[in-house]
Amino acid sequence: MPKAFELPFSRLDSYHGFYAFSAFLLAFPVLSQDPYILNIFIISLIFSILAVSWNFICGYTGIFTFGHQAFFGLGAYVSALLSMKLNVSPWFGLVIGGLASGTISFLIGLPCLRLKAAPYIAIMTLAFSEILRITCMNMVNLTRGEMGLWGIPNFPEVSLGPYTINFGGADRVPYYYLILIVFIVLMICLSAVLKSPIGLAFKSIRDSQEAAESIGINVTRYKLLAFVASAFFAGVVGSFYAHYILILTPTSLFNLGIMVEIMAMTLMGGLGTFLGPVLVAFGLTVGLEYLRFLGDYRFITYGILLVLIVIFMPQGLGKKIFKDRELAT
Amino acid sequence: MITGKLIVEQLVNGLVLGCMYASIASGLTLIWGTMKMLNFAHGEFYMIGGYFVFFALNLLGIPGVWCLVISVAIVLVLGMLLEKSIIEPLLGKPGWELSPLVVTVGASIAIQNGALKLWGEHIKNLPYYIEGTVELMGVRLAYQRLMILFVTAFVMLGFWVYTKKSRFGLGLRAVAQDRDAATLMGIDFKRVYTVTFGISCAMAALAAALLSPIFSISPWMGHAALTKGFIAVVLGGLGSFEGAILAGVLLGSVESLAVIFLSSEWKDVVSFSIFIIMLTLKPAGLFGSKEW
Repeated sequence: MPKAFELPFSRLDSYHGFYAFSAFLLAFPVLSQDPYILNIFIISLIFSILAVSWNFICGYTGIFTFGHQAFFGLGAYVSALLSMKLNVSPWFGLVIGGLASGTISFLIGLPCLRLKAAPYIAIMTLAFSEILRITCMNMVNLTRGEMGLWGIPNFPEVSLGPYTINFGGADRVPYYYLILIVFIVLMICLSAVLKSPIGLAFKSIRDSQEAAESIGINVTRYKLLAFVASAFFAGVVGSFYAHYILILTPTSLFNLGIMVEIMAMTLMGGLGTFLGPVLVAFGLTVGLEYLRFLGDYRFITYGILLVLIVIFMPQGLGKKIFKDRELAT
Repeated sequence: MITGKLIVEQLVNGLVLGCMYASIASGLTLIWGTMKMLNFAHGEFYMIGGYFVFFALNLLGIPGVWCLVISVAIVLVLGMLLEKSIIEPLLGKPGWELSPLVVTVGASIAIQNGALKLWGEHIKNLPYYIEGTVELMGVRLAYQRLMILFVTAFVMLGFWVYTKKSRFGLGLRAVAQDRDAATLMGIDFKRVYTVTFGISCAMAALAAALLSPIFSISPWMGHAALTKGFIAVVLGGLGSFEGAILAGVLLGSVESLAVIFLSSEWKDVVSFSIFIIMLTLKPAGLFGSKEW
């Protein structure tokens, strides 16, 4: 076992870290409005949200799921199709995509989350993602299959008093702020949950389902709640992705490779840590953008990285740099 | 039109498909039963097994059956190497419920995309090992398909007898039952794990080698096989060897019969529905594991 390394300074408070980091992100467009850099930051934020919401279900509640990319893709397709076929505004799509993912996650979670053994939910979510991929590939009339769904509308412009925010042009700033708001809302919700007694219930389920049950926690209900909440955020960010990238294909969305990226980011940042996965999501996305030669081998890199993290750094970085201020942990 | 002949033909196809599911599922359930872990890289060994037959056939130019043997042997060794390098370091550390799943998922994606870069995305086809057909009661059956049925049945039966009668099988069952007690009896459980992992991967390679002439070889073939294998494992009851084989054959038959009524793209949806119904009604599976 490799020796644990120690930092030369005492650990930082993760909430202070979060405030500082969001202040930096909020102020960033003042420094630069370069579409290329903003695009990288938007992708980083998308992965941050996916990593944080997966961390909630896996790191805080202890349910190991494989289907996060499926809920992401589901939200994307639902919102894109609604806006294209039924002219539903993408602004509603953002919520409807999340609700669709949440509802479906409830339906597939119900049969297997009442079972205590870990493999069932892992197998179920893996199979579910495969089914969604096959369905999207086969329903060519609706989703255009592997040819890709395109012609997805942008977010319509919004008027805020004298200002009009236009999402149509090449300007990336409105998208950047939109996803940043989703990110900050998610982080605030997460911290509120973690500080509340509900957060303690989740953690007690992670540590021992039997013990949690014995002190009167309805384990199935809390597990379902965590599963649905994390799927909801994956759906919301999927819907954002659809109206940002504007083209969807089943193999790029329902790809286990995306799940591996989310897992690598979360585990490297530290399972069950507040800020770790976010910083690693930014670090890895920006890092791979600079190392172009690795970018071509993105999934291979993430796969190998994931193996190395689990073997050599199972605790992740988050717990070494930050201390989480929560109810008695 | 639905005729008796069509049903019999589909049933034979289903049995062939079922044999593939059974060999994959039995390998997965063997690993779960012994090591208490899910191997998500299993499908990738299935894929590699198919590719090695293809390469042996095209580069060495030896008869098909020997290519099959070579491919299975190579995958056996590769499986043991993978277990030694990435699973064994995790033994005895906290988080065994999670860590092997995560490393095998990582390995799976790395291998799958590595194969894609190395061997390209073109789908490869293999010739039949045995040409010709036989006519039985008005139904035409290819020798290739009959061979798959016989070889799989023979190997499964052989392995089952091996675990019941041989010294290694005794050790394997002892480790599966209680690792600490088995260690006290002088069984090297790490060796048992390595060999079990290798055998399980070799079974996947065998399935791929037998079936590649019927289906074709691509870097993505492992993923669908893995999903079906897992579904069969749960249907049969986690950790039950007999259950996995029975469930695999059943799943294949049901899927093939469903194709008579539905279009063939939807057969995966059928097996997924069976999976959900089973989990809802009888999560212990057909052969009642106690794991849930």
